[in-house]
Amino acid sequence: MKDISRRNVFHILGAAPAAAALTGQAALAAPQPYRRKIFDDRQWRTVQVLCDLVIPADNVSGSATQAGVPEFIDDWLDFRNREDENQNVTAQIVGGLQWLDNESNRLFQTDFAAAALEQQEQILDRIAWPARASDADLPWVAFFSRFRDLTVGGFFSSKTGVADLPYLGNKAVAAWKGCDPKVWAIIEERMKNGYQGLGGEVKPLLP
Amino acid sequence: MLEAGAWYDCTKQSDMLQWPYNAPHRAARSKAKPFGYFDATLVGGWQVPGEPYTNAPGTDWLWWRARMLGGRTNHYGRISLRMGPYDFKTRSRDGKGFDWPISYEDLAPYYDKAEELIGVFGTNEGLENTPDGKFQPAPAPRGYERVIKITCDKLGIPCIPSRLAILTQPLNGRPACHYCSQCGRACGVNANFNSPGVHIFPAMKTGNLEVRTGAMAREVVVGRDGLARGVAYIDTKTRRDETVYAKVVVLAASCCETARIMLNSKSGIFPNGIANSSGLVGRYLMDTVGSPVGGHLPILEDLPPQNEDGVGGNHMYMPWWLYKEQKAGQMPFSRGYHIELGGGRGLPGSGALGGSDQILGGGYGLELKRNLRKIYGANIYFDGRGEMIPNDDSYCEIDPNTLDRWGIPVLRFHFKWSDDEILQAKHMQETFQQIIEAAGGKVLYKSGAEDNWGISKGGEIIHEVGAARMGDNPKTSVLNPYCQAWDCKNLFITDAAPFVSNADKNPTLTITALGWRTSEYIADQVKKRNLAV
Repeated sequence: MKDISRRNVFHILGAAPAAAALTGQAALAAPQPYRRKIFDDRQWRTVQVLCDLVIPADNVSGSATQAGVPEFIDDWLDFRNREDENQNVTAQIVGGLQWLDNESNRLFQTDFAAAALEQQEQILDRIAWPARASDADLPWVAFFSRFRDLTVGGFFSSKTGVADLPYLGNKAVAAWKGCDPKVWAIIEERMKNGYQGLGGEVKPLLP
Repeated sequence: MLEAGAWYDCTKQSDMLQWPYNAPHRAARSKAKPFGYFDATLVGGWQVPGEPYTNAPGTDWLWWRARMLGGRTNHYGRISLRMGPYDFKTRSRDGKGFDWPISYEDLAPYYDKAEELIGVFGTNEGLENTPDGKFQPAPAPRGYERVIKITCDKLGIPCIPSRLAILTQPLNGRPACHYCSQCGRACGVNANFNSPGVHIFPAMKTGNLEVRTGAMAREVVVGRDGLARGVAYIDTKTRRDETVYAKVVVLAASCCETARIMLNSKSGIFPNGIANSSGLVGRYLMDTVGSPVGGHLPILEDLPPQNEDGVGGNHMYMPWWLYKEQKAGQMPFSRGYHIELGGGRGLPGSGALGGSDQILGGGYGLELKRNLRKIYGANIYFDGRGEMIPNDDSYCEIDPNTLDRWGIPVLRFHFKWSDDEILQAKHMQETFQQIIEAAGGKVLYKSGAEDNWGISKGGEIIHEVGAARMGDNPKTSVLNPYCQAWDCKNLFITDAAPFVSNADKNPTLTITALGWRTSEYIADQVKKRNLAV
């Protein structure tokens, strides 16, 4: 699979001598049905629901679940258990999932995954903005920040996420031209006149 | 040529152009592959299976080894900076460390040749103690690098095109870079410098070089006349002890491994290890000072997508700029550093857009997804790379209690930073934070006094040099100015062990230039029958 795409990029480039040098790569195994290593069935339902609350589908790309993020997280936790020689990250994640169910049952008499969207959001709104959260909620805030990072990392490193950003590299280009002049014009304009960043107004860069 | 590790040919074994989503755990770092799944290092890393090293109490040294043909040149950063005139005469300049027995002028012709052979891009700038060279054209800067350049201009910090051993024009049958930015995976077309593709395979084509892989050198064998007779090694496949005989022995096993072989080469003539009458083999081990700061630049948010890969590494860098202030005694530390930077719309891995709550405040859902797209490519980081002054407390020796699986005694390390390095790291921290803030950005990670200003662990920057230094006096050095052992005239060293100081300039180009000079000297001495056995 990858050899074909590689041949294509060089073919497009017309870089035959370079392409000729590229041989002998063992192809990666074809995808097989994923076998869970960490999550039980109930946790798995919660993970799927939570992943898609973090990264839902929109008009650009599919949701985290559609991009295989729950599988990524399950595999990632197993990987960390082995790499870190402890299960602290797994404990934080499955512990956080447990708390979501505890809290959902306390408030709404149903598991988090089965709760209505507004009910799920009511719980998440307490823990999704660290600066606004109450001190009592900080352990769940830390859980959610970790879960969000795992979901975001899993999503945007997936094939779906790479196309969504979009990341346009990891390919052979015929000539390197530096920053696109159209992009630079925007940056230059912002430097001169200031601009509205996501975090608020930023002053002009140049004196 | 003996190689402890396996055969490696990047044109056949590189993972160039692979996607993290097709690799285990999105190609994340692991103990087995500390620089990521696609890193070129076959067998190696901070630990090599069955080949330990130890640290003396209070030392936390890290030793990166790559057991493969071409070693660490397969994955390194390709940064190729000449040492400058001051860097060879450090003691004369500020009273610390030691002077080299050679000057910049002695090495300059070999820097020329090395650059022309391996292919280095850059620009000639005429800056103080930052010598120009024989460069290929430098690639244009990326957008974020132009922002940083403008910011640094305001702050009086020079920001110039990088000097990297990556081809921007074809050279000796090697094609120019295709700008996929993943040099650390090794280049499938040899567009960057690596020792197998540029040195070893062409040398083999002459018919004069035989390479034996899986040959773990353990000792330089010495004759009764005190001359080197060859090298004893363990054939790692058969586990048999073998010896290869030679008229001239050249050690280039990497600085610490070379010291290990020398210290393990004990004989009646050399009871403390070969060519070690000075007692300095293993001494004055140095690494580079590193300290990082990262930040977010709102000016880079929500820009039209573009491919920002470029070459594998920064297209711009900042050479040290406060030489005059240091000379005038106005700085609290004695030596300089250069600044490396990174950022942009890089290849997304497992941790893509991690820590977004630091920028966005948190959140989830459609708004988060939209905002993540907007902040992608707007983060930036700086890495300082600074000079360490050699000190008496930093050295390696044989650990009498520990063997590797080949029966070879291993190294034990002792290492300490001095205030010169720690205060340099403090200056890095302050400078990088200043740059980020001057560019209208927000610092995302930094260090302070509580963690020694983020200073790297000894060995962590993988620039270990020294341990068998050259000099003009056999009592205070291991090698003469031609990297020839004072005590054993047919033994030479062509890695970084001969270094007397460790300028902020990354060592590989200087290793290459010194190696060339030493090779010419060996050929000349053989011709003059001074080395005939």
